[in-house]
Amino acid sequence: MTNDLVIGMAGSGGDGIVSAGESLITAAALEGYHAIMTKSFGSQIRGGESSCRLRISTQPIYSTGGTLDVAVALNWEDFLKFGAELPVGGHTVVIYESKTGVQPDRLPLPGVTPAAALSVSIGDMAKATTGTDRAKNTVVLGLLAGWFGIAREAILAGIRKRLEKKGVEVVEANRRAFDAGVEYAEQHPLGSARTIASPAADKEVKLLVDGNEMCAAAAIFAGCEFFGGYPITPSSEIMHYLSREIWKYGGAMLQAEDEIAGIGAVVGASFAGKKALTATSGPGLSLKTEILGLATIAELPLVCVDVQRGGPSTGIPTKSEQSDLFAATFSAHGDAARPVLAPISVADTFPVTVEAFNIAEYYQTPVIILSDQDIAQRKETVDPIDTKRFRVVERRRPSETELAEYNRFRFTESGVSPISHPGMKNGNYLASGIEHNEHGAPTASGEMHAKMNEKRIRKLDPLKRRRDLFVIQGDPDAPVGLISWGSVAGVAMEALQLAHEQGLKVKLLIPKLLYPVAEAVYQDFFASVKRGLVVEQSHQGQLYRTLRMFVEMPGGMESLAKSGSNPILASEIVDRLRTMALGMQRKRAYEPEPELG
Amino acid sequence: MSRSRNSADSKEMQNIMSTAAKPLGVYVAKDYRSDLKPIWCPGCGDFGVVTAIYRALAAIGRPPHEIAFVSGIGCSSRIPGYTTAYGFNSVHGRALPIAQGIKIANPDLLVLVAGGDGDGFSIGGNHVPHTIRRNLDITYIVMDNQIYGLTKGQLSPTSARGLKTASSQMGSLEDPVNPLMYVLGYGAPFVAQGTPADMEGLAAVIEEGIRYPGFAFINVQSPCVTYGLPDSQLKAQKEIMQSLKQLGHDPSDRLKAIDLAQDYGTKLYTGVFYRNPNPPQTFDAGVRERHAALKGTGLARENILQMFVPH
Repeated sequence: MTNDLVIGMAGSGGDGIVSAGESLITAAALEGYHAIMTKSFGSQIRGGESSCRLRISTQPIYSTGGTLDVAVALNWEDFLKFGAELPVGGHTVVIYESKTGVQPDRLPLPGVTPAAALSVSIGDMAKATTGTDRAKNTVVLGLLAGWFGIAREAILAGIRKRLEKKGVEVVEANRRAFDAGVEYAEQHPLGSARTIASPAADKEVKLLVDGNEMCAAAAIFAGCEFFGGYPITPSSEIMHYLSREIWKYGGAMLQAEDEIAGIGAVVGASFAGKKALTATSGPGLSLKTEILGLATIAELPLVCVDVQRGGPSTGIPTKSEQSDLFAATFSAHGDAARPVLAPISVADTFPVTVEAFNIAEYYQTPVIILSDQDIAQRKETVDPIDTKRFRVVERRRPSETELAEYNRFRFTESGVSPISHPGMKNGNYLASGIEHNEHGAPTASGEMHAKMNEKRIRKLDPLKRRRDLFVIQGDPDAPVGLISWGSVAGVAMEALQLAHEQGLKVKLLIPKLLYPVAEAVYQDFFASVKRGLVVEQSHQGQLYRTLRMFVEMPGGMESLAKSGSNPILASEIVDRLRTMALGMQRKRAYEPEPELG
Repeated sequence: MSRSRNSADSKEMQNIMSTAAKPLGVYVAKDYRSDLKPIWCPGCGDFGVVTAIYRALAAIGRPPHEIAFVSGIGCSSRIPGYTTAYGFNSVHGRALPIAQGIKIANPDLLVLVAGGDGDGFSIGGNHVPHTIRRNLDITYIVMDNQIYGLTKGQLSPTSARGLKTASSQMGSLEDPVNPLMYVLGYGAPFVAQGTPADMEGLAAVIEEGIRYPGFAFINVQSPCVTYGLPDSQLKAQKEIMQSLKQLGHDPSDRLKAIDLAQDYGTKLYTGVFYRNPNPPQTFDAGVRERHAALKGTGLARENILQMFVPH
C-alpha cells in the first residue's frame, strides 16, 4: 500500500498518452484523491513525442513529485526524449511495449536498475480486443488499474464519456481493451504490492481544472468584462475560455491583430469603465510594455497575465520557466512601478487573479500576474472553493459633489483619485500618456512631474503591508530559511515537509506579491535566518537578485536556480539545506560563529 | 459638461453652469471647445480641423460626455485635449486599438479617433486594415501633412519621393503611402477627404463620417506651416482643390473611387470618395446581438467554478 503514486507515460503523438492521463486524473478527482497532471510535448503541432506526468495522493500535494513510481514507455525513443522530466529510479516499476524488442534486463536507462521491468504486448492486446492498436492507451489504463488499484469504475466512466461521441461500438471495444489490461495485471502480479490506498473517508468530489482556465474563470468572477489579446503559447487557453464564456456575462473579447493592439484595446475598455484583462507570455510582455507605461501614467486599471515559458525570444515555448520576473518588474520605461503577483498552484490562481483585479481597480494601476507554463497547463484537483469568502473591489468613482468640480488626478492622502469614465456626466477629462496636472492638462513642469511620480508610486505602498500575500511556514526561529515562488513554491513546500521529517529546523517564505518588494515581511523572516536558499526556475536566480537589491539579506542566503524544464526536486533542496545546517553546527562546535548578516 | 484643463477658474465654472442648463440636444460649436490653448504653430492646418470638428459635433448634438475622442502622438494628436469630450491622448500609433476597446466596452459612445499620417500609416499602420475589417462604428480623422512636425521635420510615410528633410538630407528614396488607396483597398465603407482650405466641406465630411453607421475614414490635407512644402499650404490648396461632387463623382462607385484615389499626391479632391450604400454589419452590432442572445446563460458568477466539477 502506498499513499502517493507518481506515474510518467510517454509515446508518440498519436498514442493517446495524454488522453489516458486525462482519464486517470478525472477518475482520481471523482474518487476524492489529490492529483496533479502535467503534459509535455515536443514542439511539433502533430505527431512528435508526447508525455504526461501524473501524481495521485491521499494527501494534499503541491508538485508532480520527483522520481517516477511507475514509468510507461510505448516506445523508448520518445520516452528518452523527456530525460529528466521522466526520471526512473531504483523503486520505479517500468512498463513498456514488448514490440520495442528491448530485454527487461537491458533497458536503455544507463546506471539505473528499476524495481521491475515489465515487457507487455500492449499493441497486440489492443488489436486483439478492438481490431486496431489505437486503443493502446486504454490497455495501459487497464494495466495501471490492475497493478496499482486505481478505481476501475471511475476510469471506465471517463473512457465512456470521452468516446461516447464515436459510438457504442467504440466504447464497447475500449471496455474490452481496458478489461484485457486489468486481467493481464491480475495474472501477472507485481513482486511487492504497490496499490494506492483509498482516499480519506470524507472524500469530496474535487474540481479538476488547469491554471489558465482557473485564471479566466476567476477573472469573470472578479467582474472582468473585456479581454483583448493575441494567441501565444502557453497562455492561449485563457483567450479560448473567455471567447466562449465572457459573452454570457455581458462582456466582450477581441482577438487583436498583435500583442500591442490587444493591450491597447484593454486600456480602452478600462478607460470606458470596464474591468479588463490581457494574457500573454514573455515575448508578448515585451511588446506590451509601452502601453503598460501608458496605463501607469493615465492611472487606468488593467490585469496582464504573463504565462512564463523558456526564454528569451521563442526559447522553449512549451516548457515552464520563471525568467520573466525582471521583465515584469523592471521593464517599464520611466518611473513606473507596477504590482506583480504570482500564484503558486492552480488552486491559488483563483485568489491571486481575483486579488490582481482588486488591486488594479482599487489603486488604478496595471497589475501583472506571473503564471508559468507548469501551473497554466497542468491539471490539478482543487478542493471546492467557497467564492463567497472573496471580496470583489470596484474602482472609486467620483461622487456628485466631486463631479461638480472634478479633478481626475486630484492629489489625495492615499494617492488614489476618483475615476470617471465616458458616459458619466461632468466627469469629462483628458486621459493622457503626457505628464499632466491634477485636472489632466498636459504639463512639462518638473515640479508637477515629481509630484505625480510620487503620487503614483506612493499609492502602492499599502501593498507592502499585505502579509496575506505571503505564505510563511515552518519553525519561526529556524536558522535556515527557504524562499521560493510560483510553481516551484510547491516543491519548496514539500521540501519543507521532508526537512522536518529529517529533523531539520527550517522555515519557508513564499511571496505571492513580488513587487513592490515588501521589505518588512522579508526583514521579519530573516530575523532568525543565517543561511538558506532562494529556489526558482531561472538561470540567473531573478528573485534572489531582486531581493539582494531591495532587502538586507543574510550573507548565507544562496541561490538555487535552474533554467526551465530542468526539474528542481524536493530532495535536492533538502540536501542543500542539510549541508547548510550541518555546516552551522560544525562552526558552532569548533570556531566562533562568523558574522553572516 | 465642459471641463477645465487649467485651473478651475471662474470663467470655466460659468461655462459649466451655462452648458449644464441647456436642454438635451442643443449644442453649439463652442460647447465642444475646451479652454486648453493649442500648442500648434500659428497658421497650422490643425486649427481648421479642430474647428470643423466642433461644428460637426454641434450639428450632431451628442453631449460631450457621451463622446470619447482618442488620439496617438504627434502635433495633430493633441486634438482631443482641445475638445470637451472625454479625451485620450495615448501613445504613438495605438489610437485605433484603444478606440476599439472603448467602443466594444460601451457601444453607446460616439467614438472619434484622430492623428497624423505617421501615427496612422507608419508606426500604427498594422492597425488600420484590422480596424477596417472589424468595421466598428468609429470615425478616424487623419491629419496628413506629409512630414513629422513634432519631432522637427523628418520624413513621414506620405512624404514625396526625393523630399529632403532632417532625416533625408540627400533626398528620400521611397515612394509615399497613399492613404486613400490603403483604406479603399482594405474595404473601408466610408472614405472621404477634406482640407481646412474648405472649412464648410471639411465640417460636412466629418459630420457625414460620424453619421455613417460603420468605420469612416477621413483624410485631411492639413498643412504644416513650419516644415511643410510651400505648395501644400492652404493658399496653394485653394487653387488646386476640386470638389468630387462638382466633378460628378458617384460615391457608391468603389472602382471609380479607387481610380480617383490614384491621383493622391498630384491632385487634391475633396468630398466623399466612397460610401458603401449598403452598410455592412458593424462589430459593435455583433456585440449587441450576442449579448441579447447569451446574457444570463452562464452560471451565476459565484458558482462559476462549478463548471470544473468532473462528471
